[in-house]
Amino acid sequence: MNSSNGNGSMSTASSSGAWDGRDQFPAGLRVLVVDDDPTCLMIFEKMLKTCLYQVTKCNKAETALSVLREHKNGFDIVISDVHMPDMDGFELLKHIDSEMDLPVILISADATKQIVMKGVTYGACDYLIKPVRIETLKNIWQHVVRKKARNTLLEIKY
Amino acid sequence: MDLVHLQRQLVDYRTSLYHEGFLDEQFTQLQSLQDENNPDFVVEVVSLFFEDSERLLNELSKALEQQIIDFKRMDAQVHQLKGSSSSIGAHRVQKLCIVFRNYCEAQNVEGCLKCLQQVKHEYGIIKTKLESMFQLEQQILNAGGSIPV
Repeated sequence: MNSSNGNGSMSTASSSGAWDGRDQFPAGLRVLVVDDDPTCLMIFEKMLKTCLYQVTKCNKAETALSVLREHKNGFDIVISDVHMPDMDGFELLKHIDSEMDLPVILISADATKQIVMKGVTYGACDYLIKPVRIETLKNIWQHVVRKKARNTLLEIKY
Repeated sequence: MDLVHLQRQLVDYRTSLYHEGFLDEQFTQLQSLQDENNPDFVVEVVSLFFEDSERLLNELSKALEQQIIDFKRMDAQVHQLKGSSSSIGAHRVQKLCIVFRNYCEAQNVEGCLKCLQQVKHEYGIIKTKLESMFQLEQQILNAGGSIPV
């Protein structure tokens, strides 16, 4: 697993809610990106860093899960490839959904309606088709805000 | 050759790669990610792509030589090649991967063999062309010039 942000180390200081209160919003968004393809992983990392996000990259779903468990509230959003050898994106999504309250974006080179439908029904907040453009990644912060807003509404209701 | 000529040669060469469908817009995305902090980004990503693709192509060759062919595994590998080639803008390779996957799904050995040959061929071409382009870029840099966008 490679971890990289501005200081070259894992940042665990921020707690949830701190990110969107900062001045340079949405810069500093804490993203975990998972893809077993090294070329794609390198490109995603560069694109996300260009968006001024804080990026941690993993090439295995299992590793990603450990990282998420070890650093509760250390991330704002997860981006994961669907087709990975050890655990696929759908399974990772199910784990994240049951253990943490994080928005998950699925990515794949597969664009069939069935698989996109599967992603959405499993609870992915978005499904992107490779090749992903940087313009698309610039907007992912909206998923984080939307989820928080929805959670707040639910809290008020109940 | 003087600097201006080298730069013009590079621009012409790059344009031809797009016109002839070897590269697509995604390669332009990669170039726009390169900056002073990461001046070798494109070369690094493309080198990674070459390394990984060669591994995949070797595994696909081996898979098709087996008595019992694991089409599912092959499909996953072609899928990965499709993803990575699309991410760097290697247009022709990406298009061939789509056809290749159809043959894997149909468990058509002949079709797969033919496709693999075609993918290897196109991969070889794009590799040579990109390496030539990088060489031209290096010549320009060595001559003290900058790479035209």
